[in-house]
Formats: sequence, C-alpha cells, structure tokens
Amino acid sequence: MERYRASVMLCGGTGCIAGGSLKLKNALVEELKNKGLENEINVVLTGCNGFCAEGPVMTVYPEDIFYEKVTVADVPLIVEEHFIKGRPVQKLMYKEPLKKQTIPLMKDIPFFSLQVLRALRNKGLVDAEKIEEYIARDGYQAAAKALIEMTPAQVVDEIKRSGLRGRGGAGFPTGLKWELCARVKDDNKFILCNGDEGDPGAFMDRSVMEADPHVVLEGMIIGAKAISANKGYIYVRAEYPLAVHRLQLAISQAKEYGLLGENILGTGFNLDIEIYQGAGAFVCGEETALMRSIEGKRGMPRPRPPFPAQKGLWDKPSVLNNVETYANIPQIILNGADWYRSLGTEKSTGTKVFALSGAISNIGLIEVPMGIPLRKIIYDIGGGVPKGRKFKAVQLGGPSGGCIPEHLLDTPVTYEDIVQTGAIVGSGGMVVMNDLNCMVSVAKFFLEFTAEESCGKCPPCRIGTTVMLDLLTKITEGKGKQRDIELLQDICRDIIATSLCGLGQTAPNPVLTTIKYFQDEYESHINEKWCKTGVCKELCTFYIDEEKCKACGVCKRACPQKAITGEKKVPHRIDQSLCIQCRSCYEVCKFGSVQIGPRSMRETLKNLPPQEPLKNVEIASLAGKEE
Amino acid sequence: MAGKILIVDDEPVVIKSCERILSPEGYAVDTASNGREAIGKLGKNSFDLVITDIRMPDMDGIELLRWIRNSKPETGVVVITGYPSQESIKEALSLRILDYLPKPFSPALLVEVTQKAMECVKAGETAETPAEAYTEEAAKQLDSIIKKFRNRPGSLIPVLQEAQELIGYLPPSVQRHIARGLKLPVSEVHGVVSFYSFFTMKPKGKHNIRVCLGTACYVKGAEEIVKKLSERLSIDVGGITDDKKFSMETVRCLGACGLAPVVVVDKDTHGSINPVKVHELLTAYE
Repeated sequence: MERYRASVMLCGGTGCIAGGSLKLKNALVEELKNKGLENEINVVLTGCNGFCAEGPVMTVYPEDIFYEKVTVADVPLIVEEHFIKGRPVQKLMYKEPLKKQTIPLMKDIPFFSLQVLRALRNKGLVDAEKIEEYIARDGYQAAAKALIEMTPAQVVDEIKRSGLRGRGGAGFPTGLKWELCARVKDDNKFILCNGDEGDPGAFMDRSVMEADPHVVLEGMIIGAKAISANKGYIYVRAEYPLAVHRLQLAISQAKEYGLLGENILGTGFNLDIEIYQGAGAFVCGEETALMRSIEGKRGMPRPRPPFPAQKGLWDKPSVLNNVETYANIPQIILNGADWYRSLGTEKSTGTKVFALSGAISNIGLIEVPMGIPLRKIIYDIGGGVPKGRKFKAVQLGGPSGGCIPEHLLDTPVTYEDIVQTGAIVGSGGMVVMNDLNCMVSVAKFFLEFTAEESCGKCPPCRIGTTVMLDLLTKITEGKGKQRDIELLQDICRDIIATSLCGLGQTAPNPVLTTIKYFQDEYESHINEKWCKTGVCKELCTFYIDEEKCKACGVCKRACPQKAITGEKKVPHRIDQSLCIQCRSCYEVCKFGSVQIGPRSMRETLKNLPPQEPLKNVEIASLAGKEE
Repeated sequence: MAGKILIVDDEPVVIKSCERILSPEGYAVDTASNGREAIGKLGKNSFDLVITDIRMPDMDGIELLRWIRNSKPETGVVVITGYPSQESIKEALSLRILDYLPKPFSPALLVEVTQKAMECVKAGETAETPAEAYTEEAAKQLDSIIKKFRNRPGSLIPVLQEAQELIGYLPPSVQRHIARGLKLPVSEVHGVVSFYSFFTMKPKGKHNIRVCLGTACYVKGAEEIVKKLSERLSIDVGGITDDKKFSMETVRCLGACGLAPVVVVDKDTHGSINPVKVHELLTAYE
C-alpha cells in the first residue's frame, strides 16, 4: 500500500453528491496532479459523514481539519494553501453560529464531539467500495471469532446479555429473537435484513448501507451462525440505488475473500446472501409483509403467531433484523456484552443512530448513547432552531410516532421513556418543527401517508385511517365541529385495539400526541376558524399591524401577488382581495408586524380608511436605509 | 374522455338507443348491423372501442372478436349478451373483452361501462403502445428476463422491475406476457403491480420528476413545490405533459433530508428547492 502524507476524506453520501462532491473529487485529483502532488495526497470518497447540512464536506488527515460547503472553485485554494504551504484554509472551516468562532478540527465541533460512534464507527473513514479498508478497521474479525471460537449458543448469549434491542422501531430484544429461532429445528432457515427504510424523514439505514456495507454483511454472518441459517436476503428499497450498488459490490468482494459462500474461513459454515429490491410499499417494513414481498407476492402482513422465528419466509424459520441492528453486532462480539452495556440505560443499552432534520441548524446523521435527553440532541448537537424561530415540537418515529413538545424535552431517549410521551423511538427519524408548523396539518400529513400506505387487508386500518383523514381535512378547511376531537380520539382507540399489524396499531399516534399536547390548536381551528400559523389557508387572514410597520418594503418585494401597497414612510397594507395566504410576507418581516388573524377578519379589513404616514419619521428613515 | 365507438347489433332499436345515449356524452359513434359490415368499417377507420352483440346472423360477435384480436388488437371490445353465463360469453372472455352488458341494460349502465372500458383502452393498450415501447425487440428481451428468473422462487417482482426498466412502464399487454412466461394468473401479476408504488401502468415522460414528500421536505414546504410544478407543466401528480417531455410523481422520502425540500429529475438530485427555483430547474431540462 502506498504511503501518503495526507488524506482527504471527501464525503460521498447522497447529500454531498447532490451538492457536487463527485465533481469536487475530480477537480481535486486533477489539481493535485497538476501540482505534482498525486503521490503525496490521497483523495478518498467516503460514505456519509453525517453533517449533511454543511455539504459537501471533507476532512483532511492527519490534522483532522474539517472543511464545509466546499465548491470546485475552492480547490486551487485548498491545494495551494493547505497542501503546498501547510496553511489550512480558514474561510472553509466550520463556524459556530452564535459566537461566530471558527473551529478548525472536526473533533472540536459540537456536532461531532458529543456523539459516540459504534454502529457508525467507520463513517467518513473508509472507502465503502473497498473491502480492504473495512478489514483494516478490524472488519470481519468478529465474524471470524463467532465462526471459529464460538458456538451458536454462545453468540446468542452474548447478544442477549448486551441488551441490544431491534433498531427498526419496536425495540424487541435481538438476542431473544435469535434464541427463539435457534431453538427451532430445521435445515432451511433464513437470515434477513430489513433495509426498507420507509419512515419519511429517516435516512439512517441508507447511510449505513452506503457508507459501510460490509458491517451489515458481517452482522448477518454472525446472526446466521447464531440461528444456523445458510441463506440470507437483504431487502433494500429500490429508491436507494447507491445502497444497492454498494451492497452488491460488498457481497461479491466478501465472496472473493471467502467470507461468504461455501465453507467460510475453512469452518465448514455456508452462507449465501442475496439482495432483494423492494418496490415501494411502506407496509413491507413489517416483518411478515416483508417476507411475503420476498416471496414475490403482495406485501401484506399476516396474523402472528406463528411467529417468523418458527414460520417465516416460505414458512421456514426466519430472523429479520434492521440494518442498524446488524451494524451493532460485530462490535458486541468483539468487545463483549459488558462493553456494550457500559453506555445507555439498564433497559435501553448502547447507542442509537438518529437522522436529524427539519427546522434545525445541524441537519444530519448522529449517533448518541441511549438515555441522552432530547434537549441535548436538539440544542447541543443539532444547534437549535435557526432563523430566530421558536421550537415547537420534535417528531419521533415517523408515521408511527408522535410529536413531543417543548416541556418534555428533558425526556431521556430510551424505549421506555419515549413511549410514555405517546411517541416511539422508532427507527430514528427526528424531525424538528418550529412555530411556522401547524400541528393539525402535521397530523393530517401523517394520516395522508398511512391512509395511502395501508395495505387494505384489515378494515380498522383501511377504513379507520381514511375516516381520520377526512375528519382532519374537515378541520383544516374550517368545517370542523366541537365533537370531532372526541370522535378522533375514539376512532384512534379502536384502530389501536383492532388493527392486524404495527402499521395500523401505531397510525393514530401522530393524531393522539398532537391532540394531547396541542389541543388549543385543534380548538382554535374548530371554534375560531383560526389557524394561527397561517398554514391552513381557509382559516387565516394576513394583515399588517400598522403601529409596528416600519415601511421598509421587504414584504412588498416578497409578495408574489403584488398585494401589498404602501410608499416609503407609509405603513404597508395587504389587499385582501389579492392575498393568496402564501405567508411570504410573514416570514420575511423582521419587525413582527405581519400578523395572522382568523378568517373572519377579512371582511372588516376590506373597508379600512386610507393609510396614514408614519408618525415616527426617524424610525422610518432608518428603516428606509435598509432598502 | 371522448373516443370513437363502433356499435354492432342486428336489432336497429338497440343501435339507435345506444347511439342516442352515447353521442351526447361526447363519443363519436358509428354503427353496423352485423360482423361483416363491422369488419368493413374497422378496416377503413380506427375505433377505440367496439360494443357488439354476440348473436347475429351472417357473422356473429365471437367471430368478429377473433378478427379484431388478430387484426386490430389495440381495439377494446365490450359485448352485449342476454345470457352472461353461457359458453359464448366464456369464449368472449378468453378473447379478452373489457366488459359485458347484460340485456336489457339501463342507459346509466351503458354510460358507465363505456366510460370504464374507454379508460382501460386509453390507459393501457392505446394504439401507440405496441408501436412505441413494446416492440418485438422488447418482447424478445422480456422473454430473456423471464427466462433468467423463471426457476427462482419469488421471481415475479424482480421480473417486473427489470421489465419496467426495459419498457418504462407496465401496460396490460406486458403484464399478460409476464404472466404467461412465469405461468402465473394475470390477476396475480396485476395484483402485485397495483400494490407497489414503484410499478406504474402509465408511461413516463422524457424527464421524470419526482418530488419528495417525506416529513423533512413537507416541513420545508414540499407541497408548494408540487403545486408550482403542476401549475407550470399543467399536469397533476402522476401525469405526463402533452409533448411527453415531463412526467411528475411524488415519492415517500428519498432519504436525503439534509437537502430538503428535494426534487429528483431522472437520476439527478436537486436540494433546497423553492417555488422560484422550480422555474430554473425546468428550464435547465427543456
């Protein structure tokens, strides 16, 4: 292997690729060649680094210097300054948003420093398309240990003691699942991996499969040993072409190295793994539905028992685990259950990967010890809510989860504590909402999702979600009635009690939590016909508080309808007959003078006397300068 | 949705009343009193749909249907019959009729059946389908896809995926072909196609636009972008522009939440899109 004096780890995750990191790599390689540095500086395209908001990002080793939002135009500067003159480029470094301080090293940036990487331990460090790099980071050692030194019972026992729980959402103890299947006697068993990441707002599994595909294979090899399976399938969404490509490559490399196939590592153990591409049905994240789908049928769940551990794929004993669960396995085997338990709480051990997104500064992928308070994730790692907006809620668990409000932000992230709030930990999507989000509309959004994705097999889910969606739509259109809230809660209880699978049983969660914590919003929609966030267009009137208006003209320029009138020094006004409630003026006003009133205000506002000039001329002239 | 219809029946009363009911609905209606006359008309003009009686003197409906299947396979057929349980209707069903009208039928039923049949014709086996995408060449390739997977368990979904990759979409003719090849009932193939959102029975445009409607994108205003796109292209979600340049669909989370809101055109991901950028984006592909 060649030696380089420095390595550039350029992020090749989906976010950064969309930001142009492939072009960036070519430009960088080209520039290094021009300067004769191609044998000194190594450029590696890695999997997702996690800090997607700042992409394209790169880290330069050995110094650990982190550059963000790098463009092709920056390449000559980086090469000249950093690699030739040894002066890292200040202007591309991370800047702390509040203190405006530059932080050069990746390890000092709060986004990274507060994380503990276990499932993502190779993120940004290996080339996902080279098995050698994975092996250099202790890859396949755990598989070797499990295959050569351990009995299936010992593997099961280690995982059981680690307390690892299924990372797909429900949190079922992984060791227990394996034990159940290991006990069943059958020559044909299947080890399955669920990469059908369907929750909107979640991209953890995608990142693991794209950045570190071998860790998934290694976890599956160990699982196969534990339950004595000889055939495995990885079920991946067809929407993730890069993940499919990299997994395929990883499988063929592992076969070449004798880590998959017949007689693995000379132990006599056989395992063949195949990729199965899903075809876009959310319900296929449910285990019995996923198995039907691999059989080539409509992916509909079936009642349990019998559990898949006894009768799963093609009625054979099968174990299905999530991508992130498998990513944790090798480290547990290598370092022991006690090491794994050293983080997290008694019942929720280890770490969990979350995808932070929505109204938050540091959008990206993070891994934190379980038990960490939500507040710490959102404010310390996530950097809080940007643009001076106020935090309103954080949504966990996607369509099966719920919205957690401000006053519960000190809840520790464990399976038990999050359930108490009405949400679930889920697969790890964490979407932050600010004061511009209407919670009734958010509930409606999730119900639109579940109503469409309901497979239709059982009536409570098929009909119930549609009825709930109708009620929510009515409320957002101003046709809600007082008893609709109670009715919604009743339907929710029935659906939870009678649905066949997890999709239906959890579909009411977004509705229940928004009613629980934001009932005032439902009530103002129903009683006052007033959506205070201005999202529900039938239920709001935008107007300008002429006392507060500084006549700066920003709203006037932002209005796509040209509905705002007003000269300099004359308070502006919105022409209600032209306004389309797009909220542009509300979002741009720096003085908080654009207000949102109930729909009923519209008529009164149409008959106002003409605008009077601003009384305080001094302020007006100041504001005028901004123009 | 208008279209051209040929009504074939030996009873002038039936022809008259069908004509009287369907013409105001916007259809161009022509008539024939037996199979032979119908073939003559079909040879000269193309029709979207033939509504025919089964029992007729000279040349009956079944014979006409056979001729249509051989010579004008893209034409949809609805049969009128007094005895839906008899052998003749079974034979008609095996010749792939779209629907049947039991005698006597009400005007409302006639309109409904016609409308549905017309939708099937327009959605699937329009005259251009075999010509444009599902060529003989494609059919051969489809056979080799089927052969590749035939002996594997659970082969239907991978076959459909590759078939869609090949042809662009899965019209009924392709579904039937696959069903024959894999020795599955057509109903099972269609059941799978209609279950998974990845499969589409409608053709896609030269550029396919996919708007992400995941939570992160929703929170950042993806709905406004869908609205802007459909305004600009004058198509709805799932639609295709008249010049076949653009088609638009929505997807459930592309897992690129850091870039929200996200729009994917063909295979390129575009992040942080807003209604203003929509315009630039489309211009770049036009």
